[in-house]
Amino acid sequence: MASRTTARIVSDNIISALGFTTAENMAAMHQYKSGIALHKRDDIASTPIQAALIDRDKLATKARERELSNYSLLEQLFILSIADTLAQAGMEHPAAHTALILSTTKGNVDALAHTADVPSEAFLSYTAQRVAAYWGIDAQDTVVVSNACISGVSALVIASRLIGDGSYDNIIVAGGDVLSPFITSGFLSFKSISTQPCRPYDALRDGLNLGEACGSVLLSGNGNESDIAITGGAITNDANHISGPSRTGDGLYYAIRNAMNEAGVSVEDVTFVNAHGTATAYNDEMESKAIHWAQLQEKPVNSMKSYFGHTLGASGVIESIVCAHALQENFIPGTLNYSECGVPCPLVVSDRHIEGATSRVCVKTASGFGGCNAALILQKGSVHPQPTTLPATTECVSVVEIDNATLKVDNNIGYEATDEDKSFATFIRGAYKSLDGKNQKFYKMSDLCKLGYVAAEALLQNCINFAPEEVGIILSNRSASLDTDRKHQDIISSDGESCAAPAVFVYTLPNVVAGEIAIRHKIQGENTFFIQEEYDAAWMENYARKVMAHDNLKYCIVGRCELLKENYHAEFKLIKTI
Amino acid sequence: MEELILQLKEQLISELNLEEITPEEIDTEAPLFGDEGLGLDSIDALEIILILERNYGIKIENPAEGKEIFYSVGTLARYIDANRK
Repeated sequence: MASRTTARIVSDNIISALGFTTAENMAAMHQYKSGIALHKRDDIASTPIQAALIDRDKLATKARERELSNYSLLEQLFILSIADTLAQAGMEHPAAHTALILSTTKGNVDALAHTADVPSEAFLSYTAQRVAAYWGIDAQDTVVVSNACISGVSALVIASRLIGDGSYDNIIVAGGDVLSPFITSGFLSFKSISTQPCRPYDALRDGLNLGEACGSVLLSGNGNESDIAITGGAITNDANHISGPSRTGDGLYYAIRNAMNEAGVSVEDVTFVNAHGTATAYNDEMESKAIHWAQLQEKPVNSMKSYFGHTLGASGVIESIVCAHALQENFIPGTLNYSECGVPCPLVVSDRHIEGATSRVCVKTASGFGGCNAALILQKGSVHPQPTTLPATTECVSVVEIDNATLKVDNNIGYEATDEDKSFATFIRGAYKSLDGKNQKFYKMSDLCKLGYVAAEALLQNCINFAPEEVGIILSNRSASLDTDRKHQDIISSDGESCAAPAVFVYTLPNVVAGEIAIRHKIQGENTFFIQEEYDAAWMENYARKVMAHDNLKYCIVGRCELLKENYHAEFKLIKTI
Repeated sequence: MEELILQLKEQLISELNLEEITPEEIDTEAPLFGDEGLGLDSIDALEIILILERNYGIKIENPAEGKEIFYSVGTLARYIDANRK
């Protein structure tokens, strides 16, 4: 069998509160510098907040030099970051047929603050297409991953697979998010923000700090052995709660285990673990359990949140870049502000750096809203050749379509709205009841979640038997969670930022749909939410088949889940490996 | 007190989107959270904090300290009655 192409990080860039290049960021970390500071800025939050912000004056200068005045702040960051990543590889432009995978949670959501509508600039695919067009990358070769706080690690996992099976020789993975009252008010409503610089894993930790950053890597199948390789990656779901992490750490453990298996690395091979480490009570507690399950409790564990803050869609990308450079430098970063262990399963955490360790393998993890977890294996030097996995051969078990106030199961009408009231609210409630739905939580969900939840309910109503890890959920849409984003923005615009509602904010992430379905049906396999300008069914199903082969999945729910105001369309397929 | 309890139940039903539940069906002393009673979760707890702030001028900064206060509609009502401004 042919061996899999190894994806290697050829070059990279980090723009954060600590600098505009990876070298500047690494130098600051070596000197124990944190980007987190107390800021009083109305464009970030209406109250003073500890956060790690990018130097806007320096950004403006750099954007001017490149004539980027017509681009939004986030688009400028993406373009500048990619420019430096290419320059580090000695290139001015990407090679022909390079793909672009963008990781972001909220994109240009700030555009909602200036209008009562949903302007085109607020769409994630709009941002992606603008960045792709700047670099001459084809729209067909551009996709956005919006999987909450694991987006960056997810994007790297996906990119390494697409290089592994020869779909692309070169992929630019770029992750970015900037802060605005939209994001800060939501996290404040969750009471998850600390008033002090955060203290990951510490006994006195009391919450996270937000940060803004943009990072990019050029991943290639033609890298040198001196480049860091991505040799394994996995994405799982807790199937426990949409905003609270698992109480057992099972989902994150499965992700670490699967990624290590894929890479063929054992506990002994691992040099250090860079976890998500947000410094909230429950996240760090959950991670400590998962790390023990994975038998990695003797290995140094660190979190970079006390340097960069939680940079959302950028975090997985920039933290993986730091890990790659740390491996190269035989350097294990310490966790700033850590002093005394405060997690139930003790971990090897230190606020001091370790220099001169012989480094080989780093396990990078992330966990996020919607119950998702991701793990990535970064490896230095030669790697064992792994066999390629061909996409699974599948058959379609069932198809559900919801459109125009009608629910169809395998092309037969399952439920139709009455002529008197065809509104989405009335229709979806009727459709749920027609399926004997009794979960009180359904009525608390966003409309996008209700749509996906009912589609999955209809798809799985014939009691298919499966183990939690045997099923995946791969979804896509165009408008992400903009329908709920609009509601959250309206609340803070009219009533003030302190009136942000956690029950609304939690649904400002599209992948929470997959999280709700995962909880209901106890599904813990891969779950990814893509944003595409046009739904590409062939691409999605092909990707699902690759994941199914890769993760030995028996079933996968694949489809689109699109909703913006009264325009909605769900099309879910259940496919089965044969 | 009876009036406050009824008002609280109505606020919980509307703010937490409790579907097809009437105030009479909520047992005043039954647990609000967990699998028994109303089955509320951590997001609902944050929403209850907002209800207390907006309607009764009561601020609870740390959700953990709300555990006993949030046990039931009865405990909530007694806390509001003792602390409201």
